[in-house]
Amino acid sequence: MSSSDSGAFAQYLDLARSNADVLAKGRPALLGDLNAAGANRLEALAAAYRPAAGEINACRLDTLLAPDYGVNIARVPMQADVAASFRCGVPQLNSLLAVVVNDIFRPTDTLLRNMPDGLTVCSLRDIPAQFTDDAAAMLSDTGASVADAVADALTTDGVYIRVAPHTEVEKAVQIVNIFNSPVAMLTPRRVLIHACEGAKVRVLLCDHTQSPATAHLSLQQIQIRVDAGADVEFYDIEESSAATHRLSTLRAVQQRDSRLTVNSDYLSGGTTRNEFDIRVDGNGAYTSLSGLAIISGEQVCSNNVVLRHNAEHCTSRQLFKNALYDNARGAFGGRIIVDEAARYTDAAQTNRNILESADARMEASPQLEIYCDEVKCSHGATTGQLDERALFYMQTRGIPRDEAKRMLTQAFMVDVIDNISFEVLRQRLHILVEKRLSGASADCSTCATACHTQPTEE
Amino acid sequence: MKETKEKTEDGQDVIARATSGEYKYGFTSDIDTDIIPAGLNEDVVRRISQLKGEPEWLLEFRLKAFRYWLTLEPPTWAHLDIPPIDFQAISYYAAPKKKEGPKSLDEVDPQLLDTFNRLGIPLEEQKALSGMAVDAVLDSVSVRTTHRERLAEMGIVFCSFSEAVREYPDLVRKYLGKVVSYRDNFYAALNSAVFSDGSFVYIPKGVRCPMELSTYFRINSAGTGQFERTLIVADDEAYVSYLEGCTAPMRDENQLHAAIVEIIVEERAEVKYSTVQNWYAGDAEGRGGVYNFVTKRGLCRGDYSKLSWTQVETGSAITWKYPSCILAGEGSVGEFYSVAVTNNRQQADTGTKMIHIGSNTSSTIVSKGISAGHSQNSYRGLVKVAPQAEGVRNYTQCDSLLLSGTCGAHTFPVIDVANNSAVVEHEATTSKISEDQIFYCNQRGIPTEEAIALIVNGYAKEVMNKLPMEFAVEAQKLLAITLEGSVG
Repeated sequence: MSSSDSGAFAQYLDLARSNADVLAKGRPALLGDLNAAGANRLEALAAAYRPAAGEINACRLDTLLAPDYGVNIARVPMQADVAASFRCGVPQLNSLLAVVVNDIFRPTDTLLRNMPDGLTVCSLRDIPAQFTDDAAAMLSDTGASVADAVADALTTDGVYIRVAPHTEVEKAVQIVNIFNSPVAMLTPRRVLIHACEGAKVRVLLCDHTQSPATAHLSLQQIQIRVDAGADVEFYDIEESSAATHRLSTLRAVQQRDSRLTVNSDYLSGGTTRNEFDIRVDGNGAYTSLSGLAIISGEQVCSNNVVLRHNAEHCTSRQLFKNALYDNARGAFGGRIIVDEAARYTDAAQTNRNILESADARMEASPQLEIYCDEVKCSHGATTGQLDERALFYMQTRGIPRDEAKRMLTQAFMVDVIDNISFEVLRQRLHILVEKRLSGASADCSTCATACHTQPTEE
Repeated sequence: MKETKEKTEDGQDVIARATSGEYKYGFTSDIDTDIIPAGLNEDVVRRISQLKGEPEWLLEFRLKAFRYWLTLEPPTWAHLDIPPIDFQAISYYAAPKKKEGPKSLDEVDPQLLDTFNRLGIPLEEQKALSGMAVDAVLDSVSVRTTHRERLAEMGIVFCSFSEAVREYPDLVRKYLGKVVSYRDNFYAALNSAVFSDGSFVYIPKGVRCPMELSTYFRINSAGTGQFERTLIVADDEAYVSYLEGCTAPMRDENQLHAAIVEIIVEERAEVKYSTVQNWYAGDAEGRGGVYNFVTKRGLCRGDYSKLSWTQVETGSAITWKYPSCILAGEGSVGEFYSVAVTNNRQQADTGTKMIHIGSNTSSTIVSKGISAGHSQNSYRGLVKVAPQAEGVRNYTQCDSLLLSGTCGAHTFPVIDVANNSAVVEHEATTSKISEDQIFYCNQRGIPTEEAIALIVNGYAKEVMNKLPMEFAVEAQKLLAITLEGSVG
C-alpha cells in the first residue's frame, strides 16, 4: 500500500454514525461526549492522514485499521472462561484483580472485597459521581492520531483507577485483558490512572487471547496523571496470539517531584505498535521508561517514545532492548525534547538490538531535540549480534550452541528486567523470558499475572 | 599602495584575457549584458543550454529534470524554518561579467580585512577574495597553468564543467546523474535543470593525484553562480584529495544555492573531499544570508574503494546538506567527519547517509555540532544495511555543544539494519561547556572568550585533524571567529 487509504478510517466513522443510537444505550454522559468528539475528529483526521516517511508498512495506521473489524457496540457479553484459563478467583491471590473481556470491565470479588480506602477501580460506565469531573477532564485530553479518534468514537467502556491523596496502595492493581471473539474484532480500550498528590500505586496490565484463530485489533489508550509527589509504576505485558494486533498509546503527565516508571514487554503477539508520550511539567520529577521485545516469526513490534521535558531538575532514563528472530521486524523511535525552560535536565536513552536471523530487520531512530544549554543528554543505539567469542567459549565448555545463544540472549535482556522494582513480577519475567526463548508457547502456566499460583510475598 | 595600483593598471589586459576564457567558448559579448529575465520555464532551460553551446543530450537531461521538478514540492521534513522561496522570482542565468570590484584594499570593508588578517590569509589572496582579483588573478592564472600542465601530463582532467562538456563529452555523459539522479529530490531536480557551472575531475587508472585539487587555484570557480555542479571520478586505484570552498567569508547576492556534488570511486580508488563553507550567514537578527541546499553523494562502486567527506560548516543562514556514501563495492569504506557551527539566527540541518550494499563495508561518522545565539543545529543521519550486505560495520558518534540558553541542538539518526551480521553503533551526547573547564582556564589567566575558543577547538579536533594541513589551521581560527560574541 503506497498511498494512504482513508477508507480504512471512514468505515469506522460510518459504523459509529450509523449505530449512534446503539452506542447511546445506557451510556453515561461522559462517554457520550467522548464518542461525539471522537467521531468529529475522526472525520477531519481521516482525510488529512498521511503516513510518516519510513514507517513500517504493517505498523501504519491505515494498514492496521484496514480490515473490516467488528466492534462490540451493542455490548454483547462474550463468554470468556476466566476461571478455567486463569483461575483468577484463587482466594490467596495477592493482588487487586480485574478482568477486561474484550472491552467490558469485570471486577473480581477479590477486588471488590479488598479495595483499600482511597483506591477506586471501576468501569468508565459507573464512575462515582464525585469523580466524574476528574475522569471527564482526563478524557478530554485526547490523542492526536486518527487511530485515537477511531478509538474515542467507539469507546463504550474502560477502566478508571484513582488513588486519593497521600494513599499508598500496597497491593498491585492487575488488569487482565482477555480477547475472545468468534469474529474479527476491534476493541477500543481506555485506561485512566490518576495518582493524586503523594499517592503511590502499582498497575499491571497484561494481554491474552483465548480465540487465537480470529483476528483482533486492540486500540488501547492509557492515560496517567501523576500529581505532585506521587509515584506510579505501570507494567504492560503483551502475550497474545499472532492474529492479535495492537495499537497502544500511553500518555502521561507528571507534576513536581513525581515518579513514573513504565515498563512494556512484548513476549508474543501479532503486529504491535506502542506509542509513549510523556510530558514532564513539574520540577524535580523522575521518569523511567523501559521495555523488551522478543520478536519472531512474522511478528512486528514498534516502540515510539516522545518524552517532553518542560521543567527544571528532572531526570529521565530510557532502556529498550529487542531480540529479533526469523522474519521479524522491529522499530524503535525515541525522541527527547528538552524545552528552553527545562534547565538541569538529565536525560539518557539507550536502545540495543540483537538480530538473530538473516531475514530480521531492525530500525532505530533515537532523537534528541534540545532547546536549552543547561542539560545533560545522551542516547546510544546499537544493532548487532551475540558475541561470537562468548558463544565459542561456552561451546568449548560443553554447552550446545543453541543453549548458549539462549543464555546469552537472556543475559542481554537482564538489565531491562532488573530495572523492575516489583519483585514478584521481576521473578516472573525472568522465567517468562527464559520460556519464551526456549520456544515454550504462551499459556496459563507462563501467564505474567501468575494469578493461578500462590505468589511469594515481596 | 602605489605599487598595487600600478600592478592593477598593468594587469588590465591580463584580466581581459583571463576572464575572456569564459567567453571564448560560446559566450559572445552581446550575451554579456544578456540576463535572462527572472522566472523559470522550458524556454529558459533551452536558452541556458543554448547560451552554453551544449550538445543535444545535455539539453534533454535538463528538460527531463525540469519536467520532473515541476511535479515536486520543496521538502519540509528538515528541522528548518525556511521562508517560502519564489522560484519564479529568481534569474536563472546571468552571463558572467566582470564585477566592479574595489580598486584597492583601502576601499574594502575594514571588518572584512580584519577577518582576513586574523585568518592569516596572504595579502595577494585577500585582494582576490575581496573582489579586486587583480594580482591574485595574475597569481592564480600562473599557478593554474603550471598546475594544469603538470596534471595533464599525468592524464588528470581538472576543469570547469562547461569545458568538460565540450572537451570530454563521453566522460561527462557516462557519469553525469549516475549518483544523484535528477529524480533524487526537489533541489537536485532544480539543479539538474538549470545548473550553471562547476568542476569536473577525472583521475585515470592507477594515478595518484600529486596535489590537493582546490578551488583556490581556479578562477573559473568564481562566479559559477547559484547552481554549481561538481563531478569527480576516480578510476581504478586512483587517489585524489579535493578541497571545496574557503575559510574567507564569501559574500554573494544569490540567496539560494542548490549545488550537486557527485563522486564515483572505482576499484581500490580513494577520494577525499573536504569542504570549508563560510557563506554569508545573515546579520545578527537573521536578515539576509545564503540558503545552502546541497545534494552531495558519492558512489563507492569498486571493491575496496574509499570515500571520505570532511566538512566544516560555519556559514549560510540555512544549511540543508547530507554528504552521503553508497557503499556498493565489496569492502568499501565511507567516512563522514563534520563540524557544524551555528550562531545568531542560523539554522543547519546536516548529516550523512551511509548505505551499505556491499559485503564487509564499513563506515565511520563523527559529527560535532556547536550551537550558539538563537541558532538551531541538527544532525540527521541514516545508516542502512541491505539484506545481502554481510559483515557490515558502522560507528556513529554525534556530539552537540550548546553555548547559549536560547539555541537548539538536535539529533535525528535513523538506523535500519536488515542483515544479522552487521554491527552498528550510535552514540550521541549533548551538553554545554563545563564550568570547571572555563574556571580552570580563567584561573590560568585565559579570558572566558578565549577559553571557549580553546575548548571548542579541542572538541572539534577529531574532525579538524582530517582536514588537509593548510585548511586545518585556517578552519581552527574560523571557529573562534564564528563564535565571537556568542558568549554573554
